[in-house]
Amino acid sequence: MKKNFQRIPRPTRLALLIAAPWLLAGCASLSGTGGIEPVQKIAEQHLGQSVGVARSAAEQDSAAKRVDELLAKPLSADSAVQIALLNNRGLQASLHALGVVEAEVVQASRMPNPGFSFGRSKKGEEREIERTFGFDLGHLIALPLARQAESRRFAAAQRGTALEMLALAADTRKAFYTAVAAEQTLSYMRDVQGAADAGAELAKRMAQAGNWSRLQQAREHAFFADAALNTARAERARVAARERLTRLLSLWGTQTAFTLPERLADLPGEPKDRPDIEQFAMSQRLDVQAAKAQSEATARNLGLSRVTRFINVLELELSRNSSNEGPRQTGYEISVELPLFDWGGARVARAESVYMQSLQRAAQTAVEARSEVREAYQAYRSSYDIARHYRDEAVPTAKRISEENLLRYNGMFIGVFELLADTRAQIGTVNASIEALRDFWVAQADLDMALIGKPSLAGAAAPSVAGAAAAAH
Amino acid sequence: MVSRRDFFRAGGAVTAGVAAAAVSKVAMAALPEPVLQPSPDTMPPLLPSNGRPYNPVVTLNGWTLPWRMNQGVKEFHLVAEPVLRELAPGMKAHLWGYNGQSPGPTIEVVEGDRVRVFVTNKLPEHTSIHWHGQRLPNGMDGVAGLNQKAIPSGKTYVYEFVARRPGTFMYHPHADEMTQMAMGMMGFWVTHPKTKNPLISAVDRDFCFLLNAFDIEPGSATPKIMTMLDFNLWCWNSRVFPGIDTLNVRQGDRVRIRVGNLTMTNHPIHVHGHEFEVTGTDGGPVPRSARWPEVTTDVAVGQMRQVEFIADEPGDWAFHCHKSHHTMNAMGHDVPTLIGVDHRDVVKKISKLVPDYMVMGERGMADMAEMEMPLPDNTIPMMTGQGPFGGVEMGGMFSVLKVRKDQKPGDYRDPGWYQHPKGEVAFEWTGALPEPARFAAEGGRSMPRQQPATAPSATTELRARKPGSGKHQH
Repeated sequence: MKKNFQRIPRPTRLALLIAAPWLLAGCASLSGTGGIEPVQKIAEQHLGQSVGVARSAAEQDSAAKRVDELLAKPLSADSAVQIALLNNRGLQASLHALGVVEAEVVQASRMPNPGFSFGRSKKGEEREIERTFGFDLGHLIALPLARQAESRRFAAAQRGTALEMLALAADTRKAFYTAVAAEQTLSYMRDVQGAADAGAELAKRMAQAGNWSRLQQAREHAFFADAALNTARAERARVAARERLTRLLSLWGTQTAFTLPERLADLPGEPKDRPDIEQFAMSQRLDVQAAKAQSEATARNLGLSRVTRFINVLELELSRNSSNEGPRQTGYEISVELPLFDWGGARVARAESVYMQSLQRAAQTAVEARSEVREAYQAYRSSYDIARHYRDEAVPTAKRISEENLLRYNGMFIGVFELLADTRAQIGTVNASIEALRDFWVAQADLDMALIGKPSLAGAAAPSVAGAAAAAH
Repeated sequence: MVSRRDFFRAGGAVTAGVAAAAVSKVAMAALPEPVLQPSPDTMPPLLPSNGRPYNPVVTLNGWTLPWRMNQGVKEFHLVAEPVLRELAPGMKAHLWGYNGQSPGPTIEVVEGDRVRVFVTNKLPEHTSIHWHGQRLPNGMDGVAGLNQKAIPSGKTYVYEFVARRPGTFMYHPHADEMTQMAMGMMGFWVTHPKTKNPLISAVDRDFCFLLNAFDIEPGSATPKIMTMLDFNLWCWNSRVFPGIDTLNVRQGDRVRIRVGNLTMTNHPIHVHGHEFEVTGTDGGPVPRSARWPEVTTDVAVGQMRQVEFIADEPGDWAFHCHKSHHTMNAMGHDVPTLIGVDHRDVVKKISKLVPDYMVMGERGMADMAEMEMPLPDNTIPMMTGQGPFGGVEMGGMFSVLKVRKDQKPGDYRDPGWYQHPKGEVAFEWTGALPEPARFAAEGGRSMPRQQPATAPSATTELRARKPGSGKHQH
């Protein structure tokens, strides 16, 4: 917007004129909550958790208190998610960013300030005072449309933040299960190492008593060495998993001493049967909704561009100039740019392309969403079946083998070292069963996420201690 | 003993369900009624009711097959079939045998008898019978393929020959014999002398049994027929201690024991308290001038030995194979020796992974007999048996010769534990002895070993544990 300084106006009469469109446009005002209500609503609806942004010291205090309360008990998946929602600094930043967007939206939906210029010039004896009150008419005309566009942009930002929050919740859940599994694996590996320790000690005494050669002792010692390696690997996996969770919960200092449950929750009785899962996901998923809304918005923007292709070149100025030598000069000026070189066609073409782009993006999002939800459901079902197989078949069979071996030990059909060797053979099964249960819970978190947003379907990729143990034998 | 008819009436608990091949009833009608034996107990001697008289044997944990006389011919009926044999209380084996048992019944005949044996095959595969040690027509010798066609499943063949020489013999299959003998198909044959023979004494008690071995995985019931040498159950008549009956005799009895070996290794058979003479082999009676006094006689693979002695020392005398692993039941052959290795303190760690783990073996294997711990199904402890003074810690080829003053002739019942006269049992020494004079001259070694200067110092120190230093005192 350009401003020409020309004449001297008398402002009293103009005030009404200025106020009219301003009043007409209405007053878009700040919500005072930074626009996070939709995010809160989604958190409550899909996670059953509360989310908030701490602006004041008091709010920060109460959030910190709540986090401390949750940290005082061993974490559960839900309490971990709640802590992440209250405490994750990245999410807090995004929630604050929402406030920024809201402010921009409110800003954009307000009337542009009118321009007022005052000039005083002397020409010999003549003194001339110029007052110009300029107003961007185009903006005024486009204001209702711009306001819609801005509110759509705001809604999109809110959806984006909500998705970010949901992803954080899903990641936290997965990190929680991975950390608990790592904890469980470590504790089992320590038991194994204890037994290996016992075996090595026995072997040493066998050699000392003259019953074994150094070769036999060394062979038995090898298991001890392996077990120590596996324990070290399990320690590392535990630290990695715990630190990942710590990061997602944004914990530091003494908070990092949080406790986890000793073992993963048991497998639920039956897996959920969801034949209509694609439809359900399509109606629920925020990213699909966002894509749809986005293409609707670009459609409107396209219309807007078409309507306003000429408007931008229109300017209205009111002037009231007075001179001590002549009568007061009043009037208005409308200046129109001649759309000689820019008929706005490029802008329309751009808007059209943006629209087509968003249409295709929306379609792609929908196709991907369907595929993701299918994959997530499949992963959920198969990981359930695998975990159930471990629970009902593999682990009981391993246990039965151990029991039978103990009976054979009792009858002196096998020796204590064979008994220990058998427990070695069971390590893989026990570890794999822990991992299978973890994978199920992770798949469940992925599925929950896939129903409302884009999941990260990488699965659990922690280094497998079982695999290492199996490879070592 | 029951006839087949009685047997089926009784419910057929033993062989019903395992009989493999159906045999036509019409075909069976003309044959001697097959007689079955469901019990593994020692049966009283079968006194001959017809034919030439003789002094019958007692088959340890077995029985003698009844016969019928048919126009001067002794007719027997053997039925080869799958059987369920109790090896000892607590363990039953799926074996193949004859007439309900493994080994099959003892066949007793008299020198000069014409014998006709019907053999019905109810096994899932063909079979034949070889009459080990007999003089007979070549076509009756029972080697399938060589002397005869194998007896197909479901068919009955007949063998007929004259029992020409007195002595101790066996019968066993000679068709897929590796399988069929590993499954327990065998039996005893005794030909009694027709007239008084100067080399064959008349005896008061005449016992017989076969040595056989099985490899049955603890917890299973069928022998592993591919095993060559590493058997884990050493049996007399498919029984292991404590499932083997005692040999109960009257003091002063002349006792004959006939032993045949159908395992794949030799067995030094040893009796306590008496010396015996080997009076006969598969070849017949041993000339008196060739008889050695022995307390142990080695019975090689495929051989028969008959030993005789006067049971003049009253008491409960051990009678066993002298290979000490043959007086054990199933055990691991790769179990490490833990003697002298104290590992009570490491138990805690092991029991984290194996909750019911218990320490055994650090003082020897006797723990095994002492502790009553759960074992796999269908197996018996490695060493067991309770005597009047505690655990006998035996298994396998072990029994007891019980010599009693008041055991009545012809009575084979167990008289119970021997009542020792006062002062005739070993007792704990509590006194002190004066230091005896000792022989002091000690020679050096003729060729001491040169030790290199840098020899490793790791010599194993002998660490004997004094009795009573452990927690348990015996």
